[in-house]
Amino acid sequence: MGSKKLRRSGVSADLCERLKRHQLETCQDVLSVTQVELSRLAGLSYPAALNLQRLVSKACAPAVITALDLWKRKEELCFSTSLPALDRLLHGGLPRGALTEVTGPSGCGKTQLCMMLSVLATLPKSLGGLDSGVIYIDTESAFSAERLVEMAQSRFPEFFSVKERLLEMAARVHLFRELTCQDVLKRLERLEEDIIACRAGLVILDSVASVVRKEFDTSLPGNLTHRSNFLGQEAAVLKYLSQEFCIPVVLTNQITTHVGEKLHCPQWNQTDASFEEDSGFVTAALGNTWSHSVNTRLIVQYEDSERRQIVIAKSPVAPFAVLSYTIQKEGIRLEENMNPESFSNRGTDPGLQPIRVRTGFIFNLPQAAPSTC
Amino acid sequence: MHRTVPSLPLAPSVKVKLINAGFQAASDLTDMRPLQLCKEAGISQEEAVELLQMLRDDAQPQQQRAAADGVTALDLLHQEQTLGSIVTFCSGLDDAIGGGVPVGKTTEICGAPGVGKTQLCMQLAVDVQIPVFFGGLGGKALYIDTEGSFLVQRVADMAEAAVQHCTLLAEDTEQKGALEELNVEKILSNLFLVRCHDYVKLLAEVYLLPDFLSEHPEVRLVVIDSIAFPFRHDFEDLSQRTRLLNGLAQQLIQLATQHRVAVVLTNQMTTRVSNGQSKLVPALGESWGHAATQRLILHWEGQRRLASLYKSPSQMEATVQYQITVQGFRDSPDEPRPTFDPSEVSSPSANHSKRPRLEDLS
Repeated sequence: MGSKKLRRSGVSADLCERLKRHQLETCQDVLSVTQVELSRLAGLSYPAALNLQRLVSKACAPAVITALDLWKRKEELCFSTSLPALDRLLHGGLPRGALTEVTGPSGCGKTQLCMMLSVLATLPKSLGGLDSGVIYIDTESAFSAERLVEMAQSRFPEFFSVKERLLEMAARVHLFRELTCQDVLKRLERLEEDIIACRAGLVILDSVASVVRKEFDTSLPGNLTHRSNFLGQEAAVLKYLSQEFCIPVVLTNQITTHVGEKLHCPQWNQTDASFEEDSGFVTAALGNTWSHSVNTRLIVQYEDSERRQIVIAKSPVAPFAVLSYTIQKEGIRLEENMNPESFSNRGTDPGLQPIRVRTGFIFNLPQAAPSTC
Repeated sequence: MHRTVPSLPLAPSVKVKLINAGFQAASDLTDMRPLQLCKEAGISQEEAVELLQMLRDDAQPQQQRAAADGVTALDLLHQEQTLGSIVTFCSGLDDAIGGGVPVGKTTEICGAPGVGKTQLCMQLAVDVQIPVFFGGLGGKALYIDTEGSFLVQRVADMAEAAVQHCTLLAEDTEQKGALEELNVEKILSNLFLVRCHDYVKLLAEVYLLPDFLSEHPEVRLVVIDSIAFPFRHDFEDLSQRTRLLNGLAQQLIQLATQHRVAVVLTNQMTTRVSNGQSKLVPALGESWGHAATQRLILHWEGQRRLASLYKSPSQMEATVQYQITVQGFRDSPDEPRPTFDPSEVSSPSANHSKRPRLEDLS
């Protein structure tokens, strides 16, 4: 990054010495002071200081490409979710090189989705996978290897009929359990090495919210700033790595009750009477700044006792859309009868998008509902 | 000129020598010859020449500005109209900001997450390339992406829609000729893209922009999406952040005027609690509010997307509704809400711009 030493960026040796006396040793140090300060610290005239700044800038500025260069390799820029309707809306799948967040109430299928994506990433390219390893950072201890294998077997029964393939798939999913903020941050610092070592093509952080919400009590003054700083750093590291390696990064988030001015509920919620009565509503956790940081936000929510919905709440490519799904043995299955009104040009603030939670508990004994995490 | 020697942008060692030799004001230096100065102050010949040249460059434009080279408001009016502006494809918004995003000025777009800041930027990057025969600028665009939200698939959608739009409009032979040149690949190849992962890279890129723009004189739009993300973490010393941002803003204004480009920045919103009430305000602090010439806030009202002009030296404050469709950033199909001057509502076809057009004057 900006840690390139000045000596290696074409700055003369005695000037390096002089700058070093003022603790300016890297490109970052020089670019972090203003031109007037630089002229004072380096003992140069103002125009000379500008030249120095240009020289240093050249050493660390990223290259300019054209959009056409990207367009030519657009097939490499997305990761198919194997859910045709979702892929179509997202122009091919989850963006590689950007952050995708999945948020929703507990037990709605966030971890299921993550595990399903893990299986997909290990598949050979001929089957629409990435043929690569997976780094799964688990902060909730919710990952189940048994479920992973079950999902793989029922989703691709033919391919995984060979036991070796199943074992190979499981061996490629590298799981890291990190239970504190400090550990997560340390893991992220080493992530660059891990991605190379595991030949990873997918990074999953499940979930961002749990450790952060446990450790930062936002009712205390100052903690909110610390929290958004921590989250900002996390997002910056992940964005950098996902872009450099061109891999998708999937994060999960929890939900919180938003108390405040009432939001106009989308039409499809108007029948839901309980929704209108409450003074607050449930929405994605971690606040407004974090909502800015994620590039794509998918919300999973309950539709009725069995069916759930995926909402594309924020995406640079897709319109606001709602898809129904159920959780089956093979993971997530989209309902085929997608009504045309389910996507629109409207949408609401993804930071304030109301999320429907389970309001009752219905069970029927003979055919127990598929397990959720 | 009453500038003192210590305030001149010189190397510290030179300043000390000059002061020791008894030079106090810049005017003491202007009559000196290089050799004389170098003997009296004990500085090297090169230093003396550099110093005198700098003083001369400094002094001359000022005198000229006062007399011969003076610019009148009429000249500026001519200039501003030849520069033109970039349409947004949302006529309500175009009207509100005086015909589009002005070239030669800086415009900041603030907004809640997911409201369409990046969409508007991508739309502008396509629209700046609309050929001159269709009333566009026929320019190129540079897009500095700090958030990773630039997705080329989406830009291709918008480019496709823009090409189709022009095809429908094409009437005379000139326009049809221009149309042959216009296709999605061409539009994408005229869109330069840089990804900056932290503020250091962003600053480095901005310091190099003058060189880039000289090499690519057709560039008419520079987008930084967003300015907020790299500056909202990593800073323990907030005064350092303010200093860097101020420098950046100055640099961008200079670029906009010198290289005749429209500079568009996006900014995030942050929650501020005052009197027990929390509300959303643009991020990066109060002093950053001075940075851009024009400030636009995009926000949600329920399911509606609204754009409000928040700061502008020439246009009235206004709020318009827009929507984001498969084709891109567009007018809302709903009835536009009457927000400003009621006389304009009665005649919606009237020119909403306060700025007098040249045709009206002559």
